[in-house]
Amino acid sequence: MSVRLKLALTIFATGLLTALLVVATVVYAFQRFENETAYRRGMGFLSRVVSMYDNIFDMHEKDAAAFQAWLRALVLFEPDTELYLLDGSGTVLAKTGPTPLKPGTRVALAPVRESIEQKDASYVMGDDPERMDAGAVIVAKPVRRALAQGGSREAGYLYLVLHTQQLPADRWDVLRSSFARPALGAVLAVVALTTLLAALIIATVTEPLRRLTRAVATLSQRGLAEGLAVAPGSALPAPTKDEFGQLTSAFEMLLDICRRQWNALRRTDHFRREGVSNLSHDLRSPLTATVACLETLDGRWAESAERAEDRRLVEIALRNTRNAARMVQSLGDLAKLDEPEFSLRSEAVDAGELLDDIAVRFAERAARQGVALRTLPAGGGANEGEAGPRALLDVELFERAIANLIDNALKFCPRGSTVTLAAARRGNRVAVSVADDGPGIPSADLPLLFDRFYQSRPTVAPATADGGRGLGLAIVKRIAELHGGDVAVESTVGRGTRVVLTLPAAIGTSSPQDRARG
Amino acid sequence: MPPASILVAEDQTDIRELLVMNLRSAGYDVSAVGDGPSALASQAEHASDLLVLDLMMPGLDGLEVTKALRARGRSTPILMLTAKSTELDRVLGLELGADDYLTKPFSLAELLARVKALLRRADLLRAAQAANAGEPRMLRNGELEILPAKRQVRYRGQPIDFTALEFDLLLHFASHPGHVFSRGQLLNAVWGYTHDGYEHTVTTHINRLRAKLESDPVRPELILTVRGAGYKMRDSPS
Repeated sequence: MSVRLKLALTIFATGLLTALLVVATVVYAFQRFENETAYRRGMGFLSRVVSMYDNIFDMHEKDAAAFQAWLRALVLFEPDTELYLLDGSGTVLAKTGPTPLKPGTRVALAPVRESIEQKDASYVMGDDPERMDAGAVIVAKPVRRALAQGGSREAGYLYLVLHTQQLPADRWDVLRSSFARPALGAVLAVVALTTLLAALIIATVTEPLRRLTRAVATLSQRGLAEGLAVAPGSALPAPTKDEFGQLTSAFEMLLDICRRQWNALRRTDHFRREGVSNLSHDLRSPLTATVACLETLDGRWAESAERAEDRRLVEIALRNTRNAARMVQSLGDLAKLDEPEFSLRSEAVDAGELLDDIAVRFAERAARQGVALRTLPAGGGANEGEAGPRALLDVELFERAIANLIDNALKFCPRGSTVTLAAARRGNRVAVSVADDGPGIPSADLPLLFDRFYQSRPTVAPATADGGRGLGLAIVKRIAELHGGDVAVESTVGRGTRVVLTLPAAIGTSSPQDRARG
Repeated sequence: MPPASILVAEDQTDIRELLVMNLRSAGYDVSAVGDGPSALASQAEHASDLLVLDLMMPGLDGLEVTKALRARGRSTPILMLTAKSTELDRVLGLELGADDYLTKPFSLAELLARVKALLRRADLLRAAQAANAGEPRMLRNGELEILPAKRQVRYRGQPIDFTALEFDLLLHFASHPGHVFSRGQLLNAVWGYTHDGYEHTVTTHINRLRAKLESDPVRPELILTVRGAGYKMRDSPS
């Protein structure tokens, strides 16, 4: 739930609660007013009664029935009022109400005392003998009885019950229609208006926050490279002079730090690539001279038998220098492929046909090593059976990648193995695989296989140890990435290895034409 | 016939000395200079049969020397040596008129093979030019017509433009209809390269020839693939 909605809901709920409280207060106050009015009326009435008759108790004792009639006569003009005579313990002795009471019905004395003693009480709630479960406003006055020896003593109470609770229905209607409804309407209108206003204010206040959120979201979508390239200050909304402005500034600072670190990182990466590239370049001339020297010596001593041992030394030196040269070359190539400016020269080609052609290059070496190198018929050729899948690729780099994979397979596979090349269309991709039934790669090594400088398997022939140790597969991976594809390897120890390059297929029939003319 | 004369222009003394030593022992008449201007001066004095140029040299670099020589109308074959291995460099060098390229570090055997191939190719070219001096011969294969002397191609009556290498490749195919060539053989015959690693160029060029000539390049009718062997031009229908 958005902060906006939360705030709006909170304000709405508060308004509604206020409205309910107001109504409740009104009802309560009305009730209280009724009670007070009744109490005051009852108090006046009862005071008049006790001040006019000081022999009430005697009257009761003389003739209970006559007394009861007299009591009734007293409240004849007092609506909703019942009068009782209680003895000192609160037991009802006489009553005016029509409902027959159980003999010995008693009311609580505490309200009685309160009504007598607390002259300033607004009203007192006590028992209603007719409905002992519900309370009622009561007024009580002590009734004295003359003593034989003169004077008098408190002998009981006159107990007045005022039925304010049972307001007549029409009074409630009056209350509802003339007070509660207009009040409620007004309150609801105020609540609605307040909520609307609050929503407006919240929207206005949180707008910068939304703008900031949008800007930051856009930045993260476009990614560091592009987003951070935006000139400082222009990516985010202009900071205002409030808390949101501070937040914007804070973000701007954060962005600036990111930007600087990103640039530093890019610079470092650039220097690293440059360094590797320069190193590779600078090493070429001395290596060329060394190789040329060794080759010259080798050629000179080729004929002489007594130089056989020297030639052996030269051969070792030559082989190692050439390995070093290949490594230097691979390093330089990888640095080249890593450059952000490096771009492919892609064309639509028959991947199956190309695999055939690449296989031809390795045919002699495979035959020498006793390894069968074959291209699956599914690979196809342009003129025999089905055409192979057409892929959009940089022929040089693709050939380089496949050559590296074949080279690797030949390096690790013993005599009698088979290396199989295949290309197949898979949706809008072309999967090119180089599979062998050689020794396989332990599964623990698989994830690291395409890392630079990683080599798990001991080569079959250590004497022909490769240059570019571990770089071959890194180059394959980089080439796949440059094509917007990927490379995957599956291998079982003892069963063989299968490397699959996934590359974009050439969609449409006329693509080679467009590209070649361009 | 006197031995072919070769000029080596290389600023690094060790490499220069080694090149001279080995080319001499291969029987060539070798002279050597250490920078671009001297190379040009030496060529003005006496034109060599072949130049081995280092790409990176003080004064004038290999490309500038090539440009200057070609501007003077010299078609002396040039073998460029470079420490830069990017393809861009390769293409630049070939377009500017170098005939072949060697990336350092190279092997001497490779260098000697390239030198030999370039010299032989120049000889063949001279012989062909002498032979073609008369009436222009026309190669025909169905609706494909090639005028080698004018380097013109018409297909189904329409003239079609080709780059120099595309034309050479097409001409090679058309001169041997029905004959299957591997990419390596084509590389050697058309480009004059003798070593592994440039075969992709052949693929790219065959791709382009098909795009320009075939009505459906996916199902070619003129330049055919022979699986596992190479490519051929269809036999002349006549």
